Amino acid sequence: MASLSEEVLLVVKKVRQRKQDGTLYLMAERVAWGPEGKDRFTVSHLYADIRCQKISPDGKAKIQLQLVLHTGESTTFHFANESSALKDRDATKELLQQLLPKFKKKANKELEEKNRMLQEDPVLFQLYKDLVVSQVISAEEFWANRLGGINNTDPAVVNNKQEVGISGAFLADIRPQTDGCNGLRYNLTADIIESIFRTYPAVKQKYSENVPHNLTEKEFWTRFFQSHYFHRDRINTGTQDIFSECAKQDEKGLKSLVIQGVKNPLVDLLSLEDKTLDEGYGICTTLPSTSNANKTVKESSNSAIIKRFNHHSAMVLAAGSRKGVFTSLLTASSSETSSTDGNSRDSDFFQPPVKKVKLQEAIEYEDLQRENRPKTVALNLKKSDRYAHGPVPLQSQHYTTSQDIINSVNYIRHEMMNYKPNLTEVLSSTAASSAIAALSPGGVLMQAGAQQAINQMVPTEVQGELKHLYVAAGELLRHFWSCFPVNTPFLEEKVMKMKSNLERFQVTKLCPFQEKIQRQYLSTNLTGHLEEMLQTAYSKFHIWQTRRMMRKT
Amino acid sequence: MKLNIEGLLVYFPYDYIYPEQYSYMLELKRTLDAKGHGVLEMPSGTGKTISLLSLIVAYQRAFPLDVTKLIYCSRTVPEIEKVVEELRKLMEFYAKETGERNNFLALALSSRKNLCIHPEVSSLRFGKEVDGKCHSLTASYIRAQRHVNPNQPVCRFYEEFDAVGRQVPLPAGIYNLDDLKDFGRRKGWCPYYLARYAILHANIVVYSYHYLLDPKIADLVSKELAKKSVVVFDEAHNIDNVCIDSMSVNITRRTLDRCQNNVDTLQNTIQKIKETDAAKLREEYRRLVEGLKEANVARETDIYLSNPVLPDEILKEAVPGTIRTAEHFVGFLRRFLEYLKSRLRVHHVVQESAPQFLKDIFDKVCIDRKPLRFCAERLQSLLRTLEIADIADFSAVTLISNFATLVSTYSQGFTIIIEPFEDRTPTIANPVLHFSCMDPSIAIKPVFQRFQSVIITSGTLSPLDIYPRILDFRPVTMASFTMTLARTCLCPLIVGRGNDQVALSSKFETREDFAVIRNYGNLLLEMSAVVPDGIVAFFTSYVYMENIVASWYEQGILENIQRNKLIFIETQDAAETSMALEKYQEACENGRGAILLSVARGKVSEGIDFVHHFGRAVIMFGVPYVYTQSRILKARLEYLRDQFQIRENDFLTFDAMRHAAQCVGRAIRGKTDYGLMIFADKRYARADKRGKLPRWIQEHINDGSLNLTVDETVQLSKHFLRQMAQPFRQEDQLGLSLLTLEQLESEEMLQKITQIAHQT
Repeated sequence: MASLSEEVLLVVKKVRQRKQDGTLYLMAERVAWGPEGKDRFTVSHLYADIRCQKISPDGKAKIQLQLVLHTGESTTFHFANESSALKDRDATKELLQQLLPKFKKKANKELEEKNRMLQEDPVLFQLYKDLVVSQVISAEEFWANRLGGINNTDPAVVNNKQEVGISGAFLADIRPQTDGCNGLRYNLTADIIESIFRTYPAVKQKYSENVPHNLTEKEFWTRFFQSHYFHRDRINTGTQDIFSECAKQDEKGLKSLVIQGVKNPLVDLLSLEDKTLDEGYGICTTLPSTSNANKTVKESSNSAIIKRFNHHSAMVLAAGSRKGVFTSLLTASSSETSSTDGNSRDSDFFQPPVKKVKLQEAIEYEDLQRENRPKTVALNLKKSDRYAHGPVPLQSQHYTTSQDIINSVNYIRHEMMNYKPNLTEVLSSTAASSAIAALSPGGVLMQAGAQQAINQMVPTEVQGELKHLYVAAGELLRHFWSCFPVNTPFLEEKVMKMKSNLERFQVTKLCPFQEKIQRQYLSTNLTGHLEEMLQTAYSKFHIWQTRRMMRKT
Repeated sequence: MKLNIEGLLVYFPYDYIYPEQYSYMLELKRTLDAKGHGVLEMPSGTGKTISLLSLIVAYQRAFPLDVTKLIYCSRTVPEIEKVVEELRKLMEFYAKETGERNNFLALALSSRKNLCIHPEVSSLRFGKEVDGKCHSLTASYIRAQRHVNPNQPVCRFYEEFDAVGRQVPLPAGIYNLDDLKDFGRRKGWCPYYLARYAILHANIVVYSYHYLLDPKIADLVSKELAKKSVVVFDEAHNIDNVCIDSMSVNITRRTLDRCQNNVDTLQNTIQKIKETDAAKLREEYRRLVEGLKEANVARETDIYLSNPVLPDEILKEAVPGTIRTAEHFVGFLRRFLEYLKSRLRVHHVVQESAPQFLKDIFDKVCIDRKPLRFCAERLQSLLRTLEIADIADFSAVTLISNFATLVSTYSQGFTIIIEPFEDRTPTIANPVLHFSCMDPSIAIKPVFQRFQSVIITSGTLSPLDIYPRILDFRPVTMASFTMTLARTCLCPLIVGRGNDQVALSSKFETREDFAVIRNYGNLLLEMSAVVPDGIVAFFTSYVYMENIVASWYEQGILENIQRNKLIFIETQDAAETSMALEKYQEACENGRGAILLSVARGKVSEGIDFVHHFGRAVIMFGVPYVYTQSRILKARLEYLRDQFQIRENDFLTFDAMRHAAQCVGRAIRGKTDYGLMIFADKRYARADKRGKLPRWIQEHINDGSLNLTVDETVQLSKHFLRQMAQPFRQEDQLGLSLLTLEQLESEEMLQKITQIAHQT
């Protein structure tokens, strides 16, 4: 049927699409469907394009599977084989389930990355609009050397987005619902699974160990919800539970945390008491010998709940700031790392500073002290962006404090109040008016400033447009110039293409703009520089071309 | 600023002062002038410590002959260190103002665990281990052995200190625990013994209650402190319990078993020594006959050489003949041990007084009162003669002999209760002999008698008159100070009903009631949605908290709370709780917000402050009555009624309310701080309960905040929190709750200040 260079993984017959019978093929890189009796595919999707699959609920008459694409389109297949429809569908689903994530990661990552870049960088977005949407260059060309550049930059910069913490109640959100016949239904979303994995790394480990070799995903989660691990108030019944190990690991982690002790000496209850009474002295003692033996089942389950809550909260908290302390928790079982964080017992050198600071904090009465800081003035911004992009002072190291400014303002005010014009030493009126004329815009002394006037004389939208043109032109030129020296056929091709791109740019973008400003401002030649740049590129191209011709002939 | 407190020039290391601080100093000065004792209550966070220190230091400078020393006792190690840091601040201020370094010596003293710098010893985790190890390196006979056998390990820090440390006095200055350690490291001296030696000539000593109240330690450490000292007990609201604890003994079957082993070891050691070095035993015998006291030189390092009874009760005679020889004494111990074992074999609860016990022991095994009284001393002598290195192993026999001495010394104020099993588990035999002190005045009496001024102070001492009664002393001043506030930064609310009008109470009858538990849960849930950052909730007991947490879990309340805040819970394990506490603070810091469920009378309620965002609300679930069914408590109540005419209910309510006040007071640590105090029990609305709260809380409870429902509470809280979240600047306080020197000296203000102190 198809070009059989591709490996076909699954063929399902009697699958209807748009009320047409046909055959569904799952291949190595795409899923395809062809109507019965025809020799070609009418539907073909790369796995990478598929965002997710959806299936019809179990009870429905029609057994369907829907593929949703990243573009938002969707394709629905109806499994029509009466005897094995459900089986077919499930087989397809299972296979897709395994295949999709492999492609998904790659596709998603790139797509997300592009999306993110466009969202975070308005200039880039505008450029994208100017060049790609108006089809000056293709999207691939646009991204070709951008993504690469991004991938090379410091990953920390890319990942500097703040990580979202985990809701403390994510386990509460999986409220079980009874399904009518003595069973419970848990609704799990990808977010919750993610939360579980981040909070309980032990479970994640179990998951990667067991799924899909030993258990299906569904079985895994079923067991999870049945386990003692999830229901801490149930007393551990057996060791066949795969999660009992998790519980042990958690216990270990908790213990190692406890042994590490606390950094803040003020909350360390162990060293709070100065001189404890010796054993046997004192009045209200719960005697140590009675602690474990006669605890009822209820009591120990209660204390298990309490432990669980403490542990859960600690883990949730840690998941939010994963980089820090808790990485050691995972490895703490192997205990060699625990001494590296400087929190071990003998670290006398680390402790005092924390202690000193905490003590000082504890004895401070801020309201009893006079505020010694210099008086400050609150900044009142009308246009915050103007503040952010304001002029850079030339002598950046010479700052004046607000106090100084206030003083000098006061000083000036004082001066002004005491100002008495000395009428015997004033200029003659003619001299004064000529000086004013010279200092006015257009005057003799103001020649140098005339060029700057552009941003006052041109309305902002034209300015913006000009800016975009500059950026777009710059981008194209960058592509163009990056082709030189032209030493491969590929570059040759590219340079030709870029030349035509530039020309197209000039025709579709620059010329309309020129016309527009000519209609409004006759004299100002705003685009002169742009044209100059383009001309340079053209002449370079011509030189290169004539040289090539010469070589060829 | 420099203040004039009735003619005394007081340097106060701040630019401003709270009116109540001035008033506090005034009262304190009068107490010192009268050379009497005082009871002063001032809210936490109003700078009590610095007021105390400023005034007493000024007094010491002005009248160096009248007050030679300040002994400042506090409860926990962090508190001790805080006091020293405040003192340092004061001294720096003195130096700046007067331009000369004064020759004040002030230092903190703590147990070996906090002061040891010996690399091996200090790495041990528990105080007892550190003490034991230290003793095995520094005991007098160990050091004596070293002369013979130079390979004997000793502590070089102690040796160095012993060799040169005593000749050179500690240079003047302020020494916190870490400073002492630093100093010790630099000089190579043992900081612990250095500190113990230095307190004798220091101007200010800061240490824990036990060093003064526990006769076993006080005799060693504080014996030679000058009589003309001022003693301050800070955070003294629990002082009666400290007194009682230090004089009480519990004996279990395990203790007796271990004691049996100890006695066997003693016997064997005696046998061995007899074969090799009989002269030693003869020498001991001779000494005992002559009634010679041990040479004082050796005493310092031998930690077991302490008598459990108060110094004036120790007999100044020779050890009686019946227990003078070592074998006889061991035999005597065996008999005593067998007798105790037989007493523990009871099947019903026995309660008797000390004289009854003595009579019984005389009838059954013919043990006289007098040898019993010497038991502790005789054992000490024997242990030393036998040169036993690891005295930690002998804690059981020490305990028994201490008990013997105590029971035969005091005929009043103690009771003996033998319980064959715990009340909750009547089927499991676990006999315990409680020898409990019921009269806190016994332990503290020598302190009152010996020192010219004793100041008892805390944030919560109400009702004031009860302390002089149970501690049996006559104060010259008793005053309670309120907190002057420019804005009402505390908001006590009494929640009496749930939204469904169910009365909320933790009283025994409704304790298991689901409606109450659910309503408590709703209260916490609603508050968790309203209050920013941290909430601390206290329960009346650990068991109660466990039950409530379990049923909240079943009802899904905790899950809903988790949507708003993280939950941390105090456990019975201190290390685990410390971790939970730190995580709790972390969660408050990073803005997630957290709830700490804790227990009144627990470690958290006693020692941890929840300043600012660490505690925006405290919820007290129920009234924290002590477990009233305990026989020891019953005996104590009876004793209080007979001896001090304090009615049982009065005492129980007083005790419950002081703990409740402690709990809710944890959230307010200053005038810039603010917090809700929610009393979730309808019984708080009654006058007899409310009236026992400290005045600074009481005066903010109005009729509108009594017997609220949960909804009303939430509304009031919202309103309060919104108001408090507004910026609060220094200018807002000035003139009202914060004074400059000029404002303080104005006539009008001085008049106002006299009203702050509430005399009783």
